[in-house]
Amino acid sequence: MQYALLAYAPPEDTDRATRPIPDAIAALVDRPNVTAWARLHAEESATTLRNNAGQTLMTDGPFIDSKEYLVGLFLIEADNLDRALGIAQELLQETRPGTAIEVRPVLDGRSHGT
Amino acid sequence: MALDAVFRDQWGRVLATLAGILGDIELAEDAAAEAFAIAAERWPRDGEPANPAGWLITTARNRAIDQLRRRQVLAAKTTLLAQDLEAGPPSPDSFTGDDAAIPDERLELIFTCCHPALALEAQVALTLRTLGGLSTEEIALALLVPFETMSKRLTRAKHKIRDAVIPFAVPPDHQLPDRLAAVLAVVYLIFNQGWGGGRAVLAAEAIHLGRALADLMPDEPEVLALLALMLLHDARKAARLPDGRIVPLDDQDRDLWDTRQIDEGRALLQQAMTRRRTGPYLLQAAIADLHLYQPRDWPQIAALYETLARQTGSPIVEMNRAIAVAEIDGPDAGLVILDRLDLDHYRYFHSTRASLLRRAGRHSEAHHAYRRALDLAQTEPEQRFLQDRLAETLAELPDVGGSGA
Repeated sequence: MQYALLAYAPPEDTDRATRPIPDAIAALVDRPNVTAWARLHAEESATTLRNNAGQTLMTDGPFIDSKEYLVGLFLIEADNLDRALGIAQELLQETRPGTAIEVRPVLDGRSHGT
Repeated sequence: MALDAVFRDQWGRVLATLAGILGDIELAEDAAAEAFAIAAERWPRDGEPANPAGWLITTARNRAIDQLRRRQVLAAKTTLLAQDLEAGPPSPDSFTGDDAAIPDERLELIFTCCHPALALEAQVALTLRTLGGLSTEEIALALLVPFETMSKRLTRAKHKIRDAVIPFAVPPDHQLPDRLAAVLAVVYLIFNQGWGGGRAVLAAEAIHLGRALADLMPDEPEVLALLALMLLHDARKAARLPDGRIVPLDDQDRDLWDTRQIDEGRALLQQAMTRRRTGPYLLQAAIADLHLYQPRDWPQIAALYETLARQTGSPIVEMNRAIAVAEIDGPDAGLVILDRLDLDHYRYFHSTRASLLRRAGRHSEAHHAYRRALDLAQTEPEQRFLQDRLAETLAELPDVGGSGA
């Protein structure tokens, strides 16, 4: 069973792009049960396209304007939700306070190995 | 045994076994409902099978296979079903094993239904539906939400269990305490549904679940305490509802109390108390025990309710404390506590208030409060009880333009 972990974090003071991935998180995402992961640029870089009755509306910024921003996503392999929550919990412990991880079962999809 | 009672009795067991086989509660529920419908048609005609649970499970499993064949997703399902498909489904009447041959998977089911990834209200509803065997309508009534809302809540919960693959398993040791608290809350709610409405089958179902939990977790004081609490309440059921009418505790015929059950409850309470942790169920069981002594030790009861109120912050506990305080300091002292509570939707709040108002000599307010309680009452024994009180308070009302009171 595949699950997508969506990580949301509060705004940060330093530039994400120049900061290395913390060792603990790098070790976790190197595990075989993590099949894909992506660390995202800061929310200022986001552009949102919206289907408005067939017309495309383009706006600057993330789709959801909230206190936390989508900062990364992971695709993981787990037997059931408890296992998936366990992996999410391990990741969460290495993140900054205020971070949230949403766990969603994957319906279908494809990821190329790197 | 009446057919209805057999069904109520077997529903949870049958559904749990099917959910274990099929890995899908919704599919299991559909199949179980079909099997029960077939039984309702055949058993009165052909006689009840030797093993009702085995018959129902086999029949339901065969219906599920048909269902999956139609959906053509059999390949994705368990090998057990695939084997059945090749060999041809077994006839339910050929099922000769006894009940012990069927694994009782209700604990797996209850931990699945009470998984923290589901909202608490969904956990409660789902357990009442799958293990308690209540209809969606009954659950909606019990939890004071509209039928449509409840129906959606149940469907959504079942879909989440299926799509997110919430495991059908008893959680590992390190997760057990947290997961258990939710399960206990749900079991007690099922018990109260049976107790409040005088539905002995539900109370018995909750006690059965409580016993299973106590077997599984004999070192957990709250599990023992919950079972003790339910047994101590349930021991009074014959005296409480002798002919479909609720008899208040002080008027009950104590010879009708089940002393064996009281002894068992007290032994469990003692066992739970040696663990030196005072959880909410331990306090409630201790209170239930105190209520069985004559005369009742109201100061001790009030003190325990106060501790429990601090622990839980529950207005219903405060309401019960008000009853004890009224016994010690008079009805007005109790009414002072009640007037601080926001329980307008709760039927027992109005009947409790009515009783204290009546004792305080405020008959017209008492009559009004009984009327409000009757509007909210959901079961016949409660309605009859309140109608009697309503008639009594009507007779006590001062005549308009009379001497006045």
